[in-house]
Amino acid sequence: MRIEVEVSDRLLCAAGAIGSDGVSGAVVEFAGVVRAEEHGRAIEALYYEAYEEMARSQTEKILRELERRFPCQAVRVLHRTGRVPVGEVAILVRIEAKHRAEAFGMLSAFMDRLKQDVPIWKSLA
Amino acid sequence: MFFAQLREAAGAVVAEIDADAVDAGQLWTMLEERWPRLAAQRDTVRLARNGAYALEDEIFRNSDEVALIPPVSGG
Repeated sequence: MRIEVEVSDRLLCAAGAIGSDGVSGAVVEFAGVVRAEEHGRAIEALYYEAYEEMARSQTEKILRELERRFPCQAVRVLHRTGRVPVGEVAILVRIEAKHRAEAFGMLSAFMDRLKQDVPIWKSLA
Repeated sequence: MFFAQLREAAGAVVAEIDADAVDAGQLWTMLEERWPRLAAQRDTVRLARNGAYALEDEIFRNSDEVALIPPVSGG
Protein backbone atom coordinates (compact mmCIF):
# COMPACT_ATOMS: atom_id res chain seq x y z
CA MET A 1 0.00 0.00 0.00
CA ARG A 2 1.40 3.39 -0.94
CA ILE A 3 1.17 5.95 1.86
CA GLU A 4 1.59 9.70 1.62
CA VAL A 5 1.23 11.89 4.71
CA GLU A 6 1.58 15.63 4.95
CA VAL A 7 1.04 17.85 7.99
CA SER A 8 1.57 21.47 7.05
CA ASP A 9 -0.03 24.88 6.75
CA ARG A 10 -0.64 24.40 3.04
CA LEU A 11 -4.13 25.26 1.75
CA LEU A 12 -6.01 22.07 0.87
CA CYS A 13 -8.43 21.62 -2.00
CA ALA A 14 -10.86 18.72 -2.19
CA ALA A 15 -11.96 16.81 -5.29
CA GLY A 16 -8.70 16.22 -7.05
CA ALA A 17 -8.59 14.31 -10.31
CA ILE A 18 -10.25 10.93 -9.82
CA GLY A 19 -8.28 8.26 -11.56
CA SER A 20 -6.41 5.20 -10.48
CA ASP A 21 -3.65 2.86 -11.49
CA GLY A 22 -6.08 0.44 -13.11
CA VAL A 23 -5.93 -1.90 -10.10
CA SER A 24 -8.19 0.16 -7.87
CA GLY A 25 -11.89 0.20 -8.66
CA ALA A 26 -12.79 2.47 -5.78
CA VAL A 27 -11.42 5.92 -5.07
CA VAL A 28 -12.80 7.60 -1.97
CA GLU A 29 -11.92 11.17 -1.07
CA PHE A 30 -12.96 12.70 2.24
CA ALA A 31 -12.61 16.33 3.20
CA GLY A 32 -13.07 17.48 6.77
CA VAL A 33 -14.21 21.10 6.65
CA VAL A 34 -14.33 23.68 9.44
CA ARG A 35 -17.93 24.39 10.43
CA ALA A 36 -19.22 27.78 11.55
CA GLU A 37 -20.14 26.39 14.96
CA GLU A 38 -18.04 24.77 17.66
CA HIS A 39 -19.71 23.52 20.87
CA GLY A 40 -22.78 25.61 20.07
CA ARG A 41 -20.77 28.76 19.57
CA ALA A 42 -20.34 30.71 16.32
CA ILE A 43 -16.73 30.77 15.18
CA GLU A 44 -14.71 32.24 12.31
CA ALA A 45 -11.85 29.77 12.26
CA LEU A 46 -10.08 26.98 14.09
CA TYR A 47 -6.40 26.81 14.87
CA TYR A 48 -4.66 23.45 14.44
CA GLU A 49 -1.40 22.69 16.20
CA ALA A 50 0.58 19.51 15.60
CA TYR A 51 3.59 17.64 16.86
CA GLU A 52 4.37 17.32 13.19
CA GLU A 53 7.03 14.63 13.10
CA MET A 54 5.06 12.34 15.40
CA ALA A 55 1.77 13.15 13.68
CA ARG A 56 3.26 11.89 10.41
CA SER A 57 4.83 8.77 11.87
CA GLN A 58 1.77 7.94 13.98
CA THR A 59 -0.49 8.32 10.94
CA GLU A 60 1.70 5.94 8.95
CA LYS A 61 1.75 3.46 11.82
CA ILE A 62 -2.05 3.52 12.09
CA LEU A 63 -2.46 3.07 8.33
CA ARG A 64 -0.06 0.09 8.36
CA GLU A 65 -2.09 -1.50 11.16
CA LEU A 66 -5.39 -0.89 9.38
CA GLU A 67 -4.02 -2.21 6.10
CA ARG A 68 -4.31 -5.73 7.51
CA ARG A 69 -8.07 -5.31 7.97
CA PHE A 70 -8.67 -3.10 4.94
CA PRO A 71 -6.19 -3.88 2.15
CA CYS A 72 -5.94 -0.82 -0.07
CA GLN A 73 -3.67 0.25 -2.90
CA ALA A 74 -2.94 3.76 -1.70
CA VAL A 75 -3.81 6.23 1.06
CA ARG A 76 -3.00 9.91 1.13
CA VAL A 77 -3.57 11.98 4.27
CA LEU A 78 -3.10 15.73 4.27
CA HIS A 79 -3.75 17.62 7.51
CA ARG A 80 -3.57 21.37 7.63
CA THR A 81 -2.09 23.26 10.56
CA GLY A 82 -2.35 26.87 11.64
CA ARG A 83 -5.47 29.00 11.22
CA VAL A 84 -8.17 27.34 9.10
CA PRO A 85 -11.18 29.60 8.38
CA VAL A 86 -14.76 28.32 8.31
CA GLY A 87 -15.51 26.51 5.06
CA GLU A 88 -11.90 25.53 4.39
CA VAL A 89 -10.50 22.02 4.45
CA ALA A 90 -8.69 20.90 7.60
CA ILE A 91 -8.08 17.31 6.52
CA LEU A 92 -8.12 15.53 3.21
CA VAL A 93 -7.99 11.75 2.92
CA ARG A 94 -7.88 9.94 -0.41
CA ILE A 95 -8.05 6.17 -0.56
CA GLU A 96 -7.65 3.85 -3.52
CA ALA A 97 -8.76 0.23 -3.18
CA LYS A 98 -9.91 -2.60 -5.37
CA HIS A 99 -13.42 -2.42 -3.95
CA ARG A 100 -15.46 0.20 -2.09
CA ALA A 101 -15.87 -1.86 1.10
CA GLU A 102 -12.14 -1.69 1.92
CA ALA A 103 -11.96 1.98 0.95
CA PHE A 104 -14.89 3.06 3.12
CA GLY A 105 -13.76 0.75 5.94
CA MET A 106 -10.26 2.21 5.89
CA LEU A 107 -11.59 5.77 5.85
CA SER A 108 -13.95 5.28 8.77
CA ALA A 109 -11.47 3.34 10.90
CA PHE A 110 -8.64 5.75 10.16
CA MET A 111 -10.65 8.84 11.09
CA ASP A 112 -11.60 7.19 14.41
CA ARG A 113 -7.95 6.42 15.15
CA LEU A 114 -6.80 9.89 14.07
CA LYS A 115 -9.09 11.45 16.63
CA GLN A 116 -7.67 9.17 19.37
CA ASP A 117 -3.98 8.88 18.62
CA VAL A 118 -2.54 11.45 16.22
CA PRO A 119 -0.97 14.40 18.07
CA ILE A 120 -2.91 17.25 16.51
CA TRP A 121 -4.96 19.71 18.53
CA LYS A 122 -7.56 22.24 17.52
CA SER A 123 -8.54 25.37 19.37
CA LEU A 124 -10.59 28.45 18.63
CA ALA A 125 -8.61 30.87 16.46
CA MET B 1 7.92 19.35 24.79
CA PHE B 2 4.55 20.78 25.71
CA PHE B 3 1.55 21.10 23.44
CA ALA B 4 -1.90 22.70 23.49
CA GLN B 5 -3.18 23.47 27.00
CA LEU B 6 -0.04 22.01 28.60
CA ARG B 7 1.99 24.95 27.32
CA GLU B 8 0.03 27.22 29.57
CA ALA B 9 0.30 24.83 32.50
CA ALA B 10 4.07 24.55 32.07
CA GLY B 11 4.65 28.11 30.90
CA ALA B 12 7.01 26.71 28.27
CA VAL B 13 7.12 25.07 24.87
CA VAL B 14 10.36 23.18 25.35
CA ALA B 15 12.35 22.57 28.51
CA GLU B 16 15.20 20.37 29.66
CA ILE B 17 15.24 18.26 32.77
CA ASP B 18 17.90 16.00 34.20
CA ALA B 19 16.25 12.60 34.20
CA ASP B 20 18.39 9.65 33.21
CA ALA B 21 17.21 6.04 33.31
CA VAL B 22 13.89 6.83 34.95
CA ASP B 23 10.54 5.17 34.39
CA ALA B 24 7.29 6.99 33.66
CA GLY B 25 6.31 7.25 37.33
CA GLN B 26 9.65 8.77 38.30
CA LEU B 27 9.55 11.13 35.34
CA TRP B 28 6.07 12.33 36.29
CA THR B 29 7.24 12.98 39.85
CA MET B 30 10.00 15.19 38.48
CA LEU B 31 7.67 16.95 36.06
CA GLU B 32 5.14 17.69 38.79
CA GLU B 33 7.80 18.98 41.14
CA ARG B 34 8.94 21.49 38.54
CA TRP B 35 5.53 22.30 37.05
CA PRO B 36 2.90 21.65 39.77
CA ARG B 37 0.06 22.66 37.44
CA LEU B 38 0.70 19.58 35.31
CA ALA B 39 -0.49 17.33 38.11
CA ALA B 40 -4.16 18.03 37.43
CA GLN B 41 -3.77 16.79 33.86
CA ARG B 42 -1.67 13.70 34.52
CA ASP B 43 -4.56 11.24 34.13
CA THR B 44 -5.33 12.36 30.59
CA VAL B 45 -1.79 13.02 29.33
CA ARG B 46 0.25 10.40 27.47
CA LEU B 47 4.03 10.44 27.27
CA ALA B 48 5.87 10.10 23.99
CA ARG B 49 9.55 9.23 23.74
CA ASN B 50 11.46 10.13 20.58
CA GLY B 51 8.29 10.56 18.55
CA ALA B 52 6.35 7.46 19.62
CA TYR B 53 3.95 6.78 22.48
CA ALA B 54 5.88 5.40 25.43
CA LEU B 55 5.18 1.87 26.58
CA GLU B 56 4.18 1.21 30.19
CA ASP B 57 7.68 0.03 31.15
CA GLU B 58 9.56 2.56 29.02
CA ILE B 59 12.82 3.93 30.40
CA PHE B 60 13.61 7.58 29.71
CA ARG B 61 17.13 8.92 29.28
CA ASN B 62 18.66 12.37 29.18
CA SER B 63 19.19 12.17 25.44
CA ASP B 64 15.49 11.46 24.75
CA GLU B 65 13.01 13.90 23.32
CA VAL B 66 9.95 13.55 25.52
CA ALA B 67 6.60 15.02 24.63
CA LEU B 68 3.55 15.35 26.85
CA ILE B 69 0.52 14.59 24.72
CA PRO B 70 -2.82 15.90 26.03
CA PRO B 71 -6.04 14.48 24.50
CA VAL B 72 -5.86 15.02 20.75
CA SER B 73 -8.50 16.66 18.57
CA GLY B 74 -7.38 16.56 14.96
CA GLY B 75 -9.58 16.13 11.89
